[in-house]
Amino acid sequence: MKPNKVNEIMDKVDSFPSIPGAAAKLMALLDNTDSSAEQIEKALKYDAGLTANILKLSNSAYFGMMTKIGSVKQAVVVLGFKKLKELVLISCIGSLLNKQVLGYDLQMGELWRHSIAVSVAAEALVAELKISDSEDILTAALLHDVGKVVMGEFVQKDMEEIWSVVSKGISFEAAEEMVLGMNHAAIGANILKSWLFPKHIVDAVRWHHNPEEAPEHSVIIDVIHVANILSLMIGIGLGSEGLNYQLIPSVTERLGLGTSNLESVASRTLQAVNELSGLLECG
Amino acid sequence: MVGGYNQAQNNGIELMRHVVVVADMIVGAKNDLVVTHALGSCLGLMVYDPVAKIGGLLHAMLPLSKINKQKAKENPFMFVDTGVPVLFKEIYAAGGQKQRLIVKAAGCGNPLGKNEMFKIGQRNYTLLKKLLWKNGILLESEDVGGTDSRTVYFDLSSGIVKISSCGKESFL
Repeated sequence: MKPNKVNEIMDKVDSFPSIPGAAAKLMALLDNTDSSAEQIEKALKYDAGLTANILKLSNSAYFGMMTKIGSVKQAVVVLGFKKLKELVLISCIGSLLNKQVLGYDLQMGELWRHSIAVSVAAEALVAELKISDSEDILTAALLHDVGKVVMGEFVQKDMEEIWSVVSKGISFEAAEEMVLGMNHAAIGANILKSWLFPKHIVDAVRWHHNPEEAPEHSVIIDVIHVANILSLMIGIGLGSEGLNYQLIPSVTERLGLGTSNLESVASRTLQAVNELSGLLECG
Repeated sequence: MVGGYNQAQNNGIELMRHVVVVADMIVGAKNDLVVTHALGSCLGLMVYDPVAKIGGLLHAMLPLSKINKQKAKENPFMFVDTGVPVLFKEIYAAGGQKQRLIVKAAGCGNPLGKNEMFKIGQRNYTLLKKLLWKNGILLESEDVGGTDSRTVYFDLSSGIVKISSCGKESFL
C-alpha cells in the first residue's frame, strides 16, 4: 500500500469533470415522477446536440420503437422517464469516455466502445436469463470503467511494477491495488459517489471485478462482471492488460448461466455495439 | 476489399493496410498488409500461398454457428465452423492451391480462472484443429492461448506474420 499514490489519485478524482450541465439537470428532472413533458422539453431547448442524440437513439434499431419519434415530447410519452434517462446518459457521457487512455493502451474511442459493449451485453444477459430485477443496469454498465480515465496515467508510470505482479498469475485490478493502493473500480466508484449516484450503481462499479467482496450480492454486480469479461474476450476495449482478469465461478452459478447462454449473448452483442457506436460517433 | 486502410512501408514498397474487424475476413494479394487488432479469445487465422502471393485473414469470434444460425447466415465470419471454410474457398477462388498453403493461427486466449464456460478461446482453437485435421491441413505455426491481447500484421508480399502483444513483437 502506498498512501501517497492514493492521495494523488484521489486529488485527480476530486478534479474529475462532472456530468455536463444540461444532462445533469435533465436526469434530475427524470428522477422526479412529478416532472412534466414540458419541463423536460424546456431543459433540452438550448442543447441541440443532446436533443439530436436522444432522437437518434430513440429511433435506432437497438432502442427502436414501433413509431418514429420526432420530438422530445413524444420521446417522453413513448419511452417513459426511465428509458429516457438512460438515453440522456448515453448521449452525454461519451465526451468523458471517448478519449485515449494511457496505461491500458486504449486508443481514442476504445473505452467508449467497451462501455457500450458491456451495456449491450448486460442487457442481453438480462433478456437471455429472464432476470426481472435489473433496474439501472445500463447506467452501471456504461460507467463501470470510468475509473480507468483517472487511473491510466498512474498505471502508465508504474507499469513495470504492475506487470511483475501480474506475471505471477495475479489479476490486473489486484495488481493495481497492490502497487498503487487502489484499483480502477474503486476510483470509478468514488467518481460516481461524487456525482451523487445511488448506492447500488456505485456498488456495481466498485465490485465489478470482485463480486464476492461486495457487502451484499446483487444481480447488477454479477451481470456486469460477466458482461465485462465477455466484452474483453471478444476484443472490445481489450487493452494491454489482456485477459488478466479473474472470472468468479460463483457468479455464473448464481445467475444460472450456461455455455450456450454466454455464446448466444456474445453473438448478439457485436452488431448492436457497431450500430450504437456508429450513431454516437459525431455526437 | 473491405475494411479500413491506410499505407505502410516494407522494403521501400508501399503496402496498402487493411484492417479486419471482429467477425470479418479479408483476402488480398501482394502489396497488402492485413491487420487485425486485439485478439482476445477470438481466433486469428492466416492462410498464405507463397507462389500466387495471395493470402487471407479471418477474425472469428465463437466456435459453433448453431448458437445463432441467423447470425451465421448474415455473417459466416463470426463463427469458426462457418468462417474457416469460406476463407479457404476464397483463397482457392483467388488462385491459391491447397498443397502450397501456409496456415498460421493466433489468439484463442482465455481469462484467468478455471471456469470452463469462459474458455471460448480454447473451444475456438480445438474446433480449428479438428476442421484442419479433417481436411488434411497442418498448422505451420501458432501463438495461441494465455491471457495476452494480440495484434496481427500479415504482409501479403512476403507472407510474414508479425504479432504484437504487450508492447513486444514476435514473428510467427
